[in-house]
Amino acid sequence: MSAIAGQKSRLTWAVQISVVVMVVLWLIPTVGLLVSSFRTTDQISQSGWWDAAFPVEKAFRDRIPADGETQANGAYVLEGNLLTDGQNAQDLKSGAKIVAFGTSGIKPDKYKPGETADLGDGATMTVNADGTFKASSPVSFEGSGPRVYFVADMPPAFTLSNYREVLYSDGMGQAFMNTLTVTIPATIIPILVAAFAAYALAWMEFPGRGLLIAAVVGLLVVPLQLALVPLLRLHQEVGIGQSFLGIWLAHTGFGLPLAIYLLRNYMVGLPRDIIESAKVDGATDFQIFMKIVLPLSFPALASFAIFQFLWVWNDLLVAKVFLPANDWSKVMTVKIADDLLGSRGGDWGILASAAFISIAVPLLVFFAMQKYLVRGLLAGSVKGG
Amino acid sequence: MTKHLLLGIAAVALSAGLASAQDLKFKPGDQPDRFDWSSYDQFAKDTDLSGQTLTITGPWTGNDKKLFESVLAYFAAATGAKVNYSGSESFENDIVIAAKAGTPPNVAVFPQPGLAADMARQGYLTAMPQGTGDWIKNNYAAGQSWYDLSTYKGKDGAEQTYTFPFKADLKSLVWYVPENFKEAGYKVPETMEDLKALTEKIKADGGTPWCIGLGSGAATGWPATDWVEDFMLRTQKPEVYDEWVTNKIKFTDPKVVEAIKEYGWFAKTPGFAEGGPQAVATTDFRDSPKGLFDFPPKCYMHKQASFIPTFFPEGTKVGQDVNFFYFPAYASKDLGKPVLGAGTMFGITKDSPAAEAFVKFLETPIASEIWMAQSGFLTPNKNVNPAAFANDVQRHMNEILLDATTFRFDGSDQMPGEIGTDAFWKAMVAYTTGDETAEQAAEAIQKRWDGIKK
Repeated sequence: MSAIAGQKSRLTWAVQISVVVMVVLWLIPTVGLLVSSFRTTDQISQSGWWDAAFPVEKAFRDRIPADGETQANGAYVLEGNLLTDGQNAQDLKSGAKIVAFGTSGIKPDKYKPGETADLGDGATMTVNADGTFKASSPVSFEGSGPRVYFVADMPPAFTLSNYREVLYSDGMGQAFMNTLTVTIPATIIPILVAAFAAYALAWMEFPGRGLLIAAVVGLLVVPLQLALVPLLRLHQEVGIGQSFLGIWLAHTGFGLPLAIYLLRNYMVGLPRDIIESAKVDGATDFQIFMKIVLPLSFPALASFAIFQFLWVWNDLLVAKVFLPANDWSKVMTVKIADDLLGSRGGDWGILASAAFISIAVPLLVFFAMQKYLVRGLLAGSVKGG
Repeated sequence: MTKHLLLGIAAVALSAGLASAQDLKFKPGDQPDRFDWSSYDQFAKDTDLSGQTLTITGPWTGNDKKLFESVLAYFAAATGAKVNYSGSESFENDIVIAAKAGTPPNVAVFPQPGLAADMARQGYLTAMPQGTGDWIKNNYAAGQSWYDLSTYKGKDGAEQTYTFPFKADLKSLVWYVPENFKEAGYKVPETMEDLKALTEKIKADGGTPWCIGLGSGAATGWPATDWVEDFMLRTQKPEVYDEWVTNKIKFTDPKVVEAIKEYGWFAKTPGFAEGGPQAVATTDFRDSPKGLFDFPPKCYMHKQASFIPTFFPEGTKVGQDVNFFYFPAYASKDLGKPVLGAGTMFGITKDSPAAEAFVKFLETPIASEIWMAQSGFLTPNKNVNPAAFANDVQRHMNEILLDATTFRFDGSDQMPGEIGTDAFWKAMVAYTTGDETAEQAAEAIQKRWDGIKK
């Protein structure tokens, strides 16, 4: 790289364009989720989110009430407005326009607005684009007015109702507090423990150190699902039971292998000279750890903190197993999955908005600490060993 | 710094309070022509559980949870016990973990008898109080079939009644839009022959008769198993159905393959199902019925259980905008009016006086009537007052349930989990898309079943 410093490579553009393309591709699902979160469940199942910004044509059915019948020139006449006074007025509130109408459900778009439809028996009907209609018949409509179908051009509509439903649902505040109560200790405890362990594994000589490191690496690949039942049983026997203390310990245990591995790899890469000269000056291991290693390892600590925070924040399984199953100890993920998605999970709109609401805090954490994340990750992995 | 920010947000978020105590939906003593309040008063007089707590977990979430809690409120009011219900979308996994780890609730609500039977066999269920089995036999329509569903072998190998069935679902229903039928001049078919003729007629008229959707995330395929079960009941005797469910007759038996092919006739014949077989296999079952409400209608009929109105477009009125008819039986086969259903079974996972009292409470008519008077509740209990139903639609559904000459529980829910909630689903999807023939699909399921028998 240094050879071409100061002069722009021709590849720069290609690199930048491909980065943009990758980022856009990567963001598509998120954008889709964001758009969906502003749409109702019915809208989501009717059209894709990419159509959300365009007007859609939707067919409606209406039955014109016959009680407004008037008589003029020997004909019975019904007049009114399908858009503002009809049965579907609720759905047609803002700016809808009729683009076609018909008299049967099989061809709801048979006639253009302004054309006259034949209702049979000499009766006719005209519907205009603004929704006004006029039906006339030589005989009285008597009780049941004519049925009419129309296709309306619906302007794009977005709603905040999904967000409202998630934010104002009963017990959401409690769930938010519970999530914090679980997440913060479950992030701090493993870092504390792992930092000590990592220092010992990196810089203290003792027999079996290599084996211990190998064991930690081995534990990385053990799926935590294996430990759920035995661990909960253990908690039950020692009297912790299903409680916040229990879930802190569980998350600590599940997070430790990665934490120790990451921190140890970082610490081992710190310059040997500093640590050795400190030892020569008579510093104890504890002093070296506190005064030298810990401050230097901040990027790695921060990157692991982000990892652990995100993982605990998003966790559903461990929370379900280790917290009691009652309303006041539900964390947000459990609350969303079990209380808000409706029976059988049909409310897609809620799912989307809940995802964005629960992502807010992790995003804050991420942006507050992201400059350490990259440094910590690179340092931990590249220099490792 | 970040922490301060978090705490700030947390403090704001705390403004929403804890859920307040639930009030009684109908005041005891009100509307005596609908509710059997004497059963409530009697129960309240006999039972005092003040200071005790009852924990219940079950599969009901969202609105269903609210409905169930409205029933629980009466139990709490009558006994003084504190009741704590929590619903879970992954109940089937949660309850197994909780039981194995020694943290079960007092009462668990099983949506599948198969799971309850498994847990009874492993010794995680406590048998129902004495006499519950006889009570079910005497007071439920088709009592023997409900009794069989709640009686399993325990850890000691002895058969006992381990669960109490409460709340039923009706599966043999076909939904249609009366307005569309009227306009096209179609009549509600009374026999399977008529239904098949109607299907052909709609196609000949240029319409699409059926909306079928098998999609359901990880459970994709289950709606097809309901079709096959319904056809097993309509082509074979109920005893054959029972043998099939326990694999006494094999999946590869011509009788079973015939039922699969009957389903295939509806789902795979070109032009019968909206979008063709590929769309059938991928359309989500929750979105599938929406085709009924399009103009022009994407389809005229949709076969699904009594819970499906939840997924109709907002504001749809059942009985007016949409209605249902009984999925008819063959006139040519003398099999009566078989009904396929499902239901939830209450089992005691941690014994306590409150848990046993709760089962007694479920036996009282008032427990059912409170739920009936709201929505989504059917019951085979003969002692309840049909006047309690909130509307005629539900009353009509419940009549189908009570009139059934044969009632059979959803077969796939009774099969071992590996078959009923996996192999059967997947084979039906493969059959629907045309990847496998009916014979191949049946063989694939049978192979898996042979595998777990070893």
